[in-house]
Amino acid sequence: MKSFANIDVKSVREAVTLLQKLHQEKKSAEIVSGGTELLQLMKDRVATPQYLINLKTIPGLNYIKEERSGFRIGALTTLTEIEEHKGVREKLLFLSQAAGEAASPQLRNAGTIGGNICQRPFCWYFRSANFPCLRKGGGICYAVAGDNRYHAILGGGPSYIVHPSDTAPALIALGARIKITGPAGEKTIPLEKFFVLPQVDYKRENILQPGEILTEVQIPHPKPGSKGFYHKVRERQAWDHAIVSVSTVVQSKGGICQDAHVVLGGVAPIPWRAAKAEAFLRGKKVDEGTARQVGEIALDGARPMKDNVYKIGMAKSLIQRALLASV
Amino acid sequence: MAQQQFSTVGKKIPRIDAYERVTGQAQYAGDVQHPGMLYACVLRSPHPHARIASIDTSKAEKVPGVKAIIHHRNAEVRWSSGGATAPRYIFNNPVRYVGDSVAAVAATDRHIAEDALGLIEVKYENLPYVLDAKEALKPDAPKIYPKGNLSVGDGSTSAPITEQWGDLEKGFKEADRIFEDTYITKHVNNAQLERRASVAKWEGGKLTVWASTQGASNARRDIAKDLGLPLSKVRVICKYMGGGFGNKNQAQDYDLMAAVLAKATGQPVKLEFTREDDFIGMHGRWASEQHYKAGVKKDGTITAVELNAVTNVGAYRKSSGNLSGTDFYQIPNFKKVVNPVHTNTVVAANYRAPAYPQSVFGFASFLDQIAHDMGINPLEMFLKNRIRMYKSKSPFTSNALEECIVEGAKRIGWNEKWHKPGASSGAKKHGIGMALGGYPFRPGLGAATIRVNADGTAHLLVGVVDIGTGAKSTMAIIASEALGIPLNQIQVTNGDTDVTPYCVGESGSRCTSFTGPAVIAAAEDVRRLIFNAAAPQLKAKPEDLDLKDGKVFIKANPSQSLPLSRAVARSGELIGRATTNPAFKGVQGKSFAAHFAEVEVDTWTGHVKVTRYVAAHDSGTILNRLPAESQIKGGVVQGIGMALTEELLIDRPTAIPLNPSYRDAKVPTHLEAPEVEVIFIEPYDPYGPFGGKSLGEPPITAAVATVGNAIFNATGKRFKELPITPDKILHAVQV
Repeated sequence: MKSFANIDVKSVREAVTLLQKLHQEKKSAEIVSGGTELLQLMKDRVATPQYLINLKTIPGLNYIKEERSGFRIGALTTLTEIEEHKGVREKLLFLSQAAGEAASPQLRNAGTIGGNICQRPFCWYFRSANFPCLRKGGGICYAVAGDNRYHAILGGGPSYIVHPSDTAPALIALGARIKITGPAGEKTIPLEKFFVLPQVDYKRENILQPGEILTEVQIPHPKPGSKGFYHKVRERQAWDHAIVSVSTVVQSKGGICQDAHVVLGGVAPIPWRAAKAEAFLRGKKVDEGTARQVGEIALDGARPMKDNVYKIGMAKSLIQRALLASV
Repeated sequence: MAQQQFSTVGKKIPRIDAYERVTGQAQYAGDVQHPGMLYACVLRSPHPHARIASIDTSKAEKVPGVKAIIHHRNAEVRWSSGGATAPRYIFNNPVRYVGDSVAAVAATDRHIAEDALGLIEVKYENLPYVLDAKEALKPDAPKIYPKGNLSVGDGSTSAPITEQWGDLEKGFKEADRIFEDTYITKHVNNAQLERRASVAKWEGGKLTVWASTQGASNARRDIAKDLGLPLSKVRVICKYMGGGFGNKNQAQDYDLMAAVLAKATGQPVKLEFTREDDFIGMHGRWASEQHYKAGVKKDGTITAVELNAVTNVGAYRKSSGNLSGTDFYQIPNFKKVVNPVHTNTVVAANYRAPAYPQSVFGFASFLDQIAHDMGINPLEMFLKNRIRMYKSKSPFTSNALEECIVEGAKRIGWNEKWHKPGASSGAKKHGIGMALGGYPFRPGLGAATIRVNADGTAHLLVGVVDIGTGAKSTMAIIASEALGIPLNQIQVTNGDTDVTPYCVGESGSRCTSFTGPAVIAAAEDVRRLIFNAAAPQLKAKPEDLDLKDGKVFIKANPSQSLPLSRAVARSGELIGRATTNPAFKGVQGKSFAAHFAEVEVDTWTGHVKVTRYVAAHDSGTILNRLPAESQIKGGVVQGIGMALTEELLIDRPTAIPLNPSYRDAKVPTHLEAPEVEVIFIEPYDPYGPFGGKSLGEPPITAAVATVGNAIFNATGKRFKELPITPDKILHAVQV
C-alpha cells in the first residue's frame, strides 16, 4: 500500500472544506466511511490517495429515523444495522434483505450505506493495476475484447462496467432520495439521478463533485397495496456480486397494477430502471403473460457481448418471477 | 489381524493443540519476528513470455529503507523442486508466464519494499506465447522449451504418461456397445488459508528457516541442495501450519529468496506472499481435456477403456500432470496416454489428490452417461464395475468399496429418490447423483523417538508438521495407544529438523502410514526399557509385564500393579526410538469412497444448490473420528467449489490472470457447504498402523463428479466442462 495521511474530521462542514482545499491544491484525497472497499483498492494500488478523510469521527451520521414521511438513514449507518433494524424489516419490503445479501457478514458490519451506494466497479480489469483501463485514465475498456461474462448488457459503452451496489437498485425501486452536502450547501435529489452512464462520463459512477459528500438516504413509506420483491443471482451465496438482481415494487388493487417500479442490478453501469416496462404494466392485470411481456420490454435493446448473453434470459426470468410474487 | 479393543484410537478427540490455535498463541511462519528483521516482496512478470534484456534497480535502491534487491543476474539460484523439464531458477530468463518471478526486494517494511518494486526498470523483449494446451502441442506453436511443449522430464515426470494392460482391441471386440466422449476441467487454486511465508536467519554459516511447509525434512533437503549447504547447516522449523493441500510440499522459491536476501543483508528476512502472489506465484490443479472410449457389454460390464488426454501443467513441470480417475473401476483391458503440456500460464502441480478429482469427474460422468444411454440405473452401473483387483491383477490389502456404495446409497435413499434424468418438474429441479473415489495407501520410511520421564509422562518427537489434518494429535493418539500412557500425559514436539527425527512430510496421504508404524515401534522399544525397570519392583520377569492407563502390571495377575511414575522414578529418562520402513509384497493399498449428493437446480437463474451430501469412506480403522470427519467435509466442499464456481481465468488478449483472489476465484463459503453425512466403513488393514489407511486426499476425489451427476439427474443435461456455472446451466436448459 502507498503511504498516506489520515485526517479525522469532526464535522461534515470540516470534511467538505478540507476536500475542497485538497482539490484546489491538486492533492488526491478519498473519503472513508466503512473503508472496506477503499482498503482493497489501496492494497491493489488502484487507488493511491495522498489523504484519507475519515468521516467516522463525525458524530451523528449513523442513524435510522422513522418519521411520518418515511425513513431517514444516515450515510454512516452500517449495512448490518439496516439489515437488523426492526422498522426497516417491517415496512421497507426488501431493503433489509438487499442490505443483508451484500458482501459478507464482516464487510456488512463495517460497510456503510453511503459507501455501498458510492462503490467503485468490481470489474476485474478496473480492479487490477495490470490493466490501464478507460475508467482509470487509460485508452480502452478491456472488457470489449476480453472476458466479459459479468459485464453490462444495457447502457454500456464506451465502458462496460456494471454497478456493484445491491442496495441502490432496491432503494430506487422504493423511490429513495439522497442528501448531498457540499460547498454550496445541501441538496436532495432522487437516488436515480445520482448515477452517471459512461456515455456521459466514463471515469465516474456518480455525480459527486470534489467536496461533495452523500450524507443521508430518505425512503418514503411504500404506498398501501404495495408488495416488494428482491432477488439476487450470484454464483456464490456470500461475498459475491449480483450477476443479475431484480427489485420490484408493485402497487396493485384486485390483481390490477396501479403503479410499478422495476429496477435491475448487475446488468448496466448504473442501477437500471426499466421505465418502459413499468409504464406497460400500469393498469394491467398481473399474470404470467403480462409478466413475461414486461420482461421482454425491460430487456428490449439489450446489447450483450460474447460472454454475457445468458444475462438476458436470466433477467427476463427474474422479472417474471418478481412480478408474479408481487400480487 | 482382527479389530482390537482400543483405549485411545477410534474416539472423537479434539486436537491436542486446538486451544493454542484458536486463541492465537500458535506461532505460524508469518508470526515469527526477529529484531532487525527485513520484509521482502516479489516483482512478477506482466508478460506471458519474454526475454529480459536488462534490469535497472538503481532508482529502487535509492528508496530509503531498501536493503537488497535480487534478480536473475545477481542471484542465480537453482530451484530444483520447481521444474522437471529444464532447470528452473528462483528468477528465470526468459520469463514464461504472467506471474513468473523477476526480482525480490528486502526493505525495512513491506510497504517500502512494495514501493521499490514499482521503481525497478525491466526491459522485456516479448516472445510468442501460447495459452491453450492443445494449441501448444501443434508443430507450429511457440516453443516454451527448446525440445517443445510436451513436458518430457525424467522418471515420474516423463511424458507422455502411458499405461496399459490387457488387450484393448480384444476388449472392444467383446463389447456390445462402444461409447466415446470428451470432458474438460479447469485450473483451480489450492486456496489454503495460510498464505505462503518464510523467515530466514543466518547465524555464522548456519541457516534457519521458519517455513510454512508440508514437510520440514523435505524443505531442509531442498534448501540445502539448492544453496550448496550440508544438511547439518540447515534447520527448518514448522510448528504450526495453516494448510497447503499439496502446494507447500517441498522447499519453494520464496524460502530460497528469503535465505539469499538474509545472506546479502546480514539481517533476518521475512518473505510473505500476498493472496495474489499465492494464486499466481505458486501453482494450482492442472486443467485437462480427457477423451474416453469405452467398450461395454449389454449388462453394463466394462470390457475396455481407452483414455487420451492433454493436461496443462503451465510454464514449469512440478508434478506428473497425470489423470487417475479410472482407478476405482474393474477394467480388464486398459490404455491411457496423458500428455502433460507446457503453456505460458500459471504452473499447475499438486493439489489434494493431484490426478484425481478432474479425472474422476471425467470418467464417472462418462460412466453415468453410459448407464443412462443403456437404461441402467447408475447405482447398479457403479456397483457392477467397482474395482476388485488392482490393474486387474493384484489384490488390495483391504477393500470395502462395495460396502461404501451399499451403505451410502441406503443412507441417501437412492432407490426412493432416483428418477429418470430431467423428470423433475417445475422451475426448480431436484436430482441425485453418485461417484466413486479414493486414493492410494502405502507404507514407507518413518522415524520416531519417545522419551519417558521419571514422573511417567512422555515426550513424543516426530518430524510431522500438522497441515490441518490433525497429524500431531494422531501421532499422540498412536503413541498413547501403543505405550499404554494416557493421552494427556504425552507431549508432542514436532516439525523442527534440529530436534525431531526424519519425516516424509504431509503429502500423498502418507503421514500416518509412514510415521505411525515408527511411533508404534518406538513405543515398543521404550516399553521394553520400562518393563526392565519395573520387573524387580513387581518381582516378575519383564516379558510377563504389560502397561495400560499409566499402570505397569503382571499380565497374568493385573491386580499386581505399579503406577508408571513409580516404576520409572529412578530411571532418569528412558528413550525408545525407531526407524521403520515396511513395504507391500504382492499387494496394493487403496482407500475408497462412494459419494452421493442431492441438488436443486433453479432453471430460471441457473443456480445450483447442493442440498444434501453423503460420503461413505473406507480408510481402514479411523484413528480419530473428529478430524477425520472434518477432513471429509472439507474435501467435499472443495469439490463443490471445483464443480460449481472455481476457475482461474486468464485474459486471452493479455494472458493476465483475471481473478487471483479469494473474492473473485469464488472459493466456496459456509453457504455453499451442505450438511455432509459421513459414514466410515472400517476394515482392519493389516499394513496400516492399528489398521488405518489414508484419508487426507480421498474426500475431494469423488465430490466433483457426484455433483455433476446429480445435476444430470435433475436437468437431464450433461455438463462436460467445469465449472458448471449459471451461464452454462441456462444455456443448456433455456433452449
